[in-house]
Amino acid sequence: MSKTAAQWHETPKFPSSHYVDSRIYTDQQLFEEERQRIFNKTWYIACHESEIPNAFDYRTFQHPGGTPLIIVRGEDMKVRAFYNICPHRGNTLLYDPSGNAKRITCIFHAWSFDTQGNCTDISREEQGYQKRFCKADAGLREVKSETGYGGFIWVNVDDNCVPLKTFIGDAMGELDPYIGMPLEVFHYHRAIVDTNFKLWHDTNSEFYHDYMHYFNRVTGMMQLGYFDRKCVGYDNGHVLVGSMEIKYDAYAGSKERGIGWPGLAQGGWILIDLFPGMTYNLRTSVLRMDTMIPLSPNKVMIEYRGLGLKSDTPAERAQRIFDHNTIWGPFGRNLHEDLLGVHGQGRAMRPGTDSRWVLQGREENSTIHDEVGMRHYYAEWSRLMGRKAFDPYGERRVSAAA
Amino acid sequence: MDRTTIQDMVYQTCLLLDDKNFDAFLDLCDEGFRYSITTHSPEIRKDMIWLDHDKKGMQNLFTQLPRHNSDHSPITRHAIVYKVDVDEGRKEADVVSALQVYKTDLDGGATALFAVGKYVDTIRFEGGKPKLAKRVVKLDTRMLGIGYHIPF
Ligand code: FES
Ligand SMILES: [Fe+2]
Repeated sequence: MSKTAAQWHETPKFPSSHYVDSRIYTDQQLFEEERQRIFNKTWYIACHESEIPNAFDYRTFQHPGGTPLIIVRGEDMKVRAFYNICPHRGNTLLYDPSGNAKRITCIFHAWSFDTQGNCTDISREEQGYQKRFCKADAGLREVKSETGYGGFIWVNVDDNCVPLKTFIGDAMGELDPYIGMPLEVFHYHRAIVDTNFKLWHDTNSEFYHDYMHYFNRVTGMMQLGYFDRKCVGYDNGHVLVGSMEIKYDAYAGSKERGIGWPGLAQGGWILIDLFPGMTYNLRTSVLRMDTMIPLSPNKVMIEYRGLGLKSDTPAERAQRIFDHNTIWGPFGRNLHEDLLGVHGQGRAMRPGTDSRWVLQGREENSTIHDEVGMRHYYAEWSRLMGRKAFDPYGERRVSAAA
Repeated sequence: MDRTTIQDMVYQTCLLLDDKNFDAFLDLCDEGFRYSITTHSPEIRKDMIWLDHDKKGMQNLFTQLPRHNSDHSPITRHAIVYKVDVDEGRKEADVVSALQVYKTDLDGGATALFAVGKYVDTIRFEGGKPKLAKRVVKLDTRMLGIGYHIPF
């Protein structure tokens, strides 16, 4: 039976943990709060150690809290992170996305900095500042950074944050045994999509949408054991989405894959979503990493990386690249479908569309078509935001009192 | 093998792919045909391969298209042949064409530039009839939004 306007707006017949108000995906005010209360307080993956292998190598990173960062390996081989903002008059320090810089020299007025964040030169310092200001006053703003969990470089712009290990807790336990060896990024691309960042994370946290993927239906859903695997929630909003074995030969042109991943069963798949917007996805021969950089309530930049083993032979690497591209590349079968899905959600949930609720009510004993992963995420989101995902503006209380 | 024949071949592949006439496109390809899409990432400072198939792989990809969910907005390939090097000994020509790909929204028909790059083709002309032996699509554009299922 179709619904009237009143019925469409009625609260869903689920416990309040089992749906969210669609406005959490579109509201500018909530978006600003997410940046401050979540992204500017959390650990986030900026890049991978293999992207800056040598002393003085750097990468730039658009931090999801809003601030542009530099990740640089010092002469001492230690990785540090700084604001990519000149302390003089606020220019961008490093323009290129990567490079090698013994000295970081601002192009504007030529102030120079070393890879430890010290200001090493202020042009015509004495003439302009006499004794009122000197290099010691002009250091870069350093941001906490750590390397780990597969060699990724993590940053946190909150000086008072907990250690990375505390933030991760036990969430990476299932994957840890497989990512201890040196890894290497072989694929990087970005997508900017008109949708809310949480919708991408939602997609990554359930396999119910395998209905959208022909590839996964035939290689996964129609196979024995598909429904055995469970979602497990961990502290701080992280979720392990049940792993499984994939029957690749069920998809024409996709032979049983040869090289696999050390220790992982042939056709194995482990997926871990880290709050608030990172996903480790180890599938057969490739580790994929998604990191989301929200740009506005209805716009997200997603960075996609594909990783293999640093020790790969050229033939092994070629096979990993092939496996990656078939499903996950920009021309891959699954990535386009996933992006089409969240793009469609973004379109249907734009402010003014009268989208009202997003249901997360499936209960299937925490197996992979259960929407428990999302519920776990929004419980943490609500805690950090001090707002309820099902009632972000506290309207429920008001109407109850009225 | 004159330049006009070679140019016609490149333009013919664009027309057939634009029309989604994949069988006719594959008929223009040699048995040992190899298709790839490559680009360079300044972020990770690496050359990347984004797609790489032989003729059978391409055939499979085309056959499976209807089974997948895809953006149905059509694309239009604009190629201009820049450079033709004929090697009579090898009976092959190396051909470089500038490529622009436009996407036209199915809903409303707005057209926007989707990607720029180059076709780097090898055309074989053994037995009189030219065949596409190899195509490397070298993309300059790396941001393809939600992506696309049909190769350029
Ligand atoms: S803004 Fe950087 S030196 Fe002036
Ligand atoms: Fe998916």
